[in-house]
Amino acid sequence: MMVRHGKTVLFFIGLTLWAAQPVLAAEGKTLQIDGSTTVGPLGDAFAEVFKELHPDVSITVKKTGSGDGAAALIDGRCDIAMMSRFMKDKEFQQAVEKGVFPVAHVIAMDGVCVVVHPSNPVTELRTEQIRDIYMGKITNWKELGGPDMPIVPVSRDTSSGTYESFHSMVMHNEKMAANVEYVNSNPQAHARVRSTPGAIGYVGIGFLDRYVKALKVDGVMPTRSTIAKGIYPVSRPLFLFTNGYPKLGSIIHAFCTFYLTEKGQEIIEAKGFVPVTEY
Amino acid sequence: MTLWRQIKNTLFTALCSGSVLFLAATLMIFLLPMLWKGSKAVFFRKTVEFDKMQKELFKRGHAEDLERRTAQTNQARQEALALLEHFSRGIDTALLSREVRSAYQQLGRHLRYLEVSDDEYARLREQAKDIRDAFLQALETTDKAEAESLLDTVDAQQTNPRFQNSPFEVVFSLSKQYRQILQEIDLSRRPEYAAELDIVKTEMRNLFGPLPGESIPPLPQDRFGATRWDVAQRHLQYLIYQTKWVPSGKDDKRLIPKQIRRDDPEEGIFGKTELAPLFSMVEQNLAAMLQPRPTIYWRYFLDDSTAGHYFGGVGPEVLGTLLLTVLSMCFAVPLGVLSAAYLVEYAAGGITTRIIRTCINTLAGVPSIVYGLFGLAFFVLLAGNPSILSASMTLALLVLPVIIRASEEAIRAVPQSYKEASLALGAGKFRTFLTVTLPAAGPGILTGIILSLSRAAGETAPILFAGAVALGPIPDIGLHLKWLFQPTRALSYGCYDITVGDRLAMQVPHNQFGMVMTLILLVLLLNLAAVLLRWRMSKKLQGL
Repeated sequence: MMVRHGKTVLFFIGLTLWAAQPVLAAEGKTLQIDGSTTVGPLGDAFAEVFKELHPDVSITVKKTGSGDGAAALIDGRCDIAMMSRFMKDKEFQQAVEKGVFPVAHVIAMDGVCVVVHPSNPVTELRTEQIRDIYMGKITNWKELGGPDMPIVPVSRDTSSGTYESFHSMVMHNEKMAANVEYVNSNPQAHARVRSTPGAIGYVGIGFLDRYVKALKVDGVMPTRSTIAKGIYPVSRPLFLFTNGYPKLGSIIHAFCTFYLTEKGQEIIEAKGFVPVTEY
Repeated sequence: MTLWRQIKNTLFTALCSGSVLFLAATLMIFLLPMLWKGSKAVFFRKTVEFDKMQKELFKRGHAEDLERRTAQTNQARQEALALLEHFSRGIDTALLSREVRSAYQQLGRHLRYLEVSDDEYARLREQAKDIRDAFLQALETTDKAEAESLLDTVDAQQTNPRFQNSPFEVVFSLSKQYRQILQEIDLSRRPEYAAELDIVKTEMRNLFGPLPGESIPPLPQDRFGATRWDVAQRHLQYLIYQTKWVPSGKDDKRLIPKQIRRDDPEEGIFGKTELAPLFSMVEQNLAAMLQPRPTIYWRYFLDDSTAGHYFGGVGPEVLGTLLLTVLSMCFAVPLGVLSAAYLVEYAAGGITTRIIRTCINTLAGVPSIVYGLFGLAFFVLLAGNPSILSASMTLALLVLPVIIRASEEAIRAVPQSYKEASLALGAGKFRTFLTVTLPAAGPGILTGIILSLSRAAGETAPILFAGAVALGPIPDIGLHLKWLFQPTRALSYGCYDITVGDRLAMQVPHNQFGMVMTLILLVLLLNLAAVLLRWRMSKKLQGL
C-alpha cells in the first residue's frame, strides 16, 4: 500500500515535469478581444454571429475595462481593444514607443442617460444643474421643483469609460463631491436608482427600461435619433482599437468592419446601442 | 468560589456553541437563498419555445412531437396575432407605405416591358407618382378629413385602364383598407398609440418569438419567445398592465405608481379600440399558446451557452474550472510537499529557515489580486498570451503557502519512532520519506489540499488577467496538449462577468444564480471527494 502511494507521488511529479516542458502551441486562426464592459456585450454578440460565419476562427472575448483594453493592445495581449472612450495621450505615447500604432474604429453610438426613480416628478435638467448636483451644491430635489427629498447622486467608478465621458461632457472635469456614491457597473447603477426614490445616476441607453426614468438634458430626450445626430449632449462613440489598420481581408478586418453590414447594425440595435449610419 | 468557576465554565460552553450556531446560521442565510434561486436554472416549467430553442441550438428533442406541439400552439396564437397585425396596420403605417412604394416601383418595371410610347410612359409614371404621394401624405396626416380627401384623389384614378391589371392595382385595395382603418381609430392619438403599441409588440415578441412576417433576428436570444413559464408570466403582466406614475395628491409632489389594464374600457389606452380583446385572449389562453410542462434541465451543467448566458448552460465554465483546479494542484502539491519535507527533515533551525517560514506565512496573506498581477507580469508576458497553463500556475502560487503549512505540520506530527523503525530496517532517507513519513502524514496533507482546492476553484482575481475569458472556444482536451495554451472560461470569472456589463443578465436572474449555485456545488463536491479520500486513508492508517 505504501508503495502505491509512492507511485502516486512519482506520478504527480512526472506529470508536472511532462506538463511543464515547452510544447509549441499550434497557431490556428485566433482573435483576442479585450476591453470595456460597456462595449463587451457588442463584442460578445459579434463574436457569436462570427462563429457561424467563420467556424475555423476561435474568438475570445474578455471584459476588464477600457483602460485594461488599451494596456492589452499596447502589450500585444489582444488583437482588438474595445473602448468606450478615446485613447489618452499617455496611452498613445506608450503605444508608439512600443511600436504599436492604434487605429480607432467607431462601431456604434451610445448615450449616457441621466436617470432618476420613476416616482420623481422632475423631467428635465440642464447640464449646469446636473453638475451642481454632483459637485454637492444642490442637495435636495426641492431646489429643482421636486419633492422635499435629499438627492443621492450615484456615479460609476473612476476607471470606467462611462465615468470619463460623463466627467468631461457634463462635469467639465470638475471634481465630484464627497457624498457621491460610486458603483462598479451599469447594472449596479441601474439597481441603485431603481431602489432609491431620491437617487440620480447615469447609465448607457441600453439600460433604460420601465424601472428608471430618463431625464431630458438641456431639453433633449435621449433617443436613438437624438444620439445618432449628436443633439443629445452626452452622446459618445464606442470604439474598437487595432494596431494599425488591419490587413485587408484578414479576420481582424472582417471583425472591425462587421458593424457596417446589415446584420451588424441589427445586432447593435438589438443590444440597445445606436448604429452610426442609417441602413 | 466553585460557583464562580461553574458560571465561567457554563458561559464559556454557551459562547462556544453559540458562535458555532451563529456561523452555521450565517452560512445557511447566505447559501440557501442562492441555492434556491440557482436551482431554478435546472428545475422549472418549460414552454414549447424551450423545446424549439433546444432543437435549433442544441439539436435535440423529438422532431415530430415538436412539430405537433408547434402546430397546436400556433393555432392557439393565430387569432391574437392576426388581431395585432390588423390593428398595427393603422397605427404603424410603415408597412403600408412600404407596400405603396414597392407597387410604384413595380409599375415602372411593368411599363418598360409594355409597348408604350415614351410620352405615354412619362405621363403614366407622373400620374402614378402623384397617386403614391397622395397616399403617403394620407398616411402621414393626423386630420381625418384631409386623409379622406387625399384618398379620394387616389381612388379617382381607379378606373384608369392603364392601371388595371397592373402591379399598381394593389394600391387601390390598400386605399380601401386604410379607409376602413380610418373609421376605427382616433388619428389625433396616433403617436400615443404608436408608443404603446411598440411595447405591446415587444412583449408579444418576448412571449411568442418573432411576429409573423418578421425576418429571423440575427441573435439567438431574439429568435424564441418565453422559454420558461415564470418568464412568460412576467411578460404577460407587462403586456396587460401599463404603469402610470400619477401625483399622489399629497403635498410632497411625489408620484405614485398606478397599474392600469391596457384594455380597461375607461382608462386603458386600447380600451375603446379593436385591439382590446387581445389582452384577455392572451391572458386566458396563455397555457394553450405555450404549453408549459415541468422539466429537469440537468444538461444545464454540460451545455454551452449563447452570448451573455441568455440560453444554455455552464458546461464550458465547469470544464474550465475543473481543468484550472486540477492542473494547479498538479503544480502546487508536489512542490508544496517537497518544500515542507525539506523544511522539516533537512533544514536546520537557523535564521535562514526562520526567514523562509516567515516568507511563506506572508505569502499566505497576500491579496489574491496581487497574485493575478504577478501572473500577468510573469507568466502571461513571458508566454505571450493568457492561457490555462499560466492561469493554473498563478493559482498554484496562490495555494502553495497553504499546502506547505499544512504539509509541514502533518509531516512533523509523524512520530519519530516510525522513521527510526524504517531506518533501522535499512531503508534510506528517501525511501523512509516515501514509504513511511508520507503515508502517515497523508490525511494532514489532504486537509491542506482540501482547503486549497476550494480556494483555487473560487478565486477570480488571479485568473482575471492570466487566462480567463468571458467568451471563447471550449478547450479540446487531448494528449496533444494544445489546450494548455488556450484561455478558458471559468465559473468564478463567469459569475463576475454575468453581473457587470450586459443588460441581458438582468433578464435572466435564474442563469445568474444558476452559475453561482454550480460553483458552490462544484466546490462542495471537490471537498466531499477529498474528505472521503482522507477518511479512507486514515482508516487504513489505523489498521497499520
